Amino acid sequence: MIPSDHFVRFYNEVFKFLDERDGLRPYYDQISRHQELHCLEWFRRDGLKGMYDYWEHIRIEENCEMEQKLLPDRLYFRMSRCPSLSKVLDCDAEPCAKYCDHCAGWVLPLLTKCGYYYVENIIGRKTPECVSVITPSKEVAEEVQKEYLSSAVEENTVFSNLDNWEEVERNKRS
Amino acid sequence: MLRYQEDNELHLDFHGTTNTTLNYIAENYGVEALKEILRKTGRDVYKSIHEKLVKGDASELLEHLNWFYFREKGKYQLTVEENRIVLEVFECPAIRHLRKLGLEPSPHVCLQTSEVNAGMCENSPWRSEVQVLGEGHCIQTFTKDAGK
Repeated sequence: MIPSDHFVRFYNEVFKFLDERDGLRPYYDQISRHQELHCLEWFRRDGLKGMYDYWEHIRIEENCEMEQKLLPDRLYFRMSRCPSLSKVLDCDAEPCAKYCDHCAGWVLPLLTKCGYYYVENIIGRKTPECVSVITPSKEVAEEVQKEYLSSAVEENTVFSNLDNWEEVERNKRS
Repeated sequence: MLRYQEDNELHLDFHGTTNTTLNYIAENYGVEALKEILRKTGRDVYKSIHEKLVKGDASELLEHLNWFYFREKGKYQLTVEENRIVLEVFECPAIRHLRKLGLEPSPHVCLQTSEVNAGMCENSPWRSEVQVLGEGHCIQTFTKDAGK
């Protein structure tokens, strides 16, 4: 048994294997479908409050140092110490250079299906911190993305599903 | 002394993601690729255990097995002799949690044990074996080659 405590270190080995084969994207999609088991109906039913409750449970179980703010038009996260990247950095095996991408990798398809926008700034690939916003509003998402891009220090650290806005809007209505 | 010894909250749902990952790699890249990733995890992630085993020292392996099966409330018995370690797991915490989540355990679920153990023992005087006796029930044996 790989202890649940060590899953992310195994995950890191899987990412390195897949990245060498250009295989990360289809794997993220598979993980996203797996996460639907935990989240899809909950998020569709309870919206931002359901997402707040899910990530509050994650904050406790995964030992995150994270602040969440639930506002009428958005859910805001600030992770000041990500336990996942922290473990991968505290590991005798080499970290995958794209380790942080997995978070947006599974969250974006899930939230797109739920009809929500997600914008994330991972800040730095060796810094266990990030900020993100979930919102049903395209205008809010665009404003947040602009802000994150203007403050980005490293390249390719801002992720969003704004390119799929038509799908988000369609799923919002279904 | 353990290189990794978490003692805070547990997120057991990671067993579900491991299960999905085992199936994904086996289906898309083959079982041999999955075994190699798991053996590499044994060698590289558990470098500290591996390096001690290469020197013949199983102390960290013993602590690792005991700590994580205890922490995840597994039902197990650990028997230690000079050149032989036997861990009988009567109820695997990973499989128990998969069932709780309503997930079918991957046909490759026990490879995470057999291949990680094999990776930790690679190029050492220790060799590992896993006998699966039933769902969630296995015997993991580590044997030190005589004379090494």
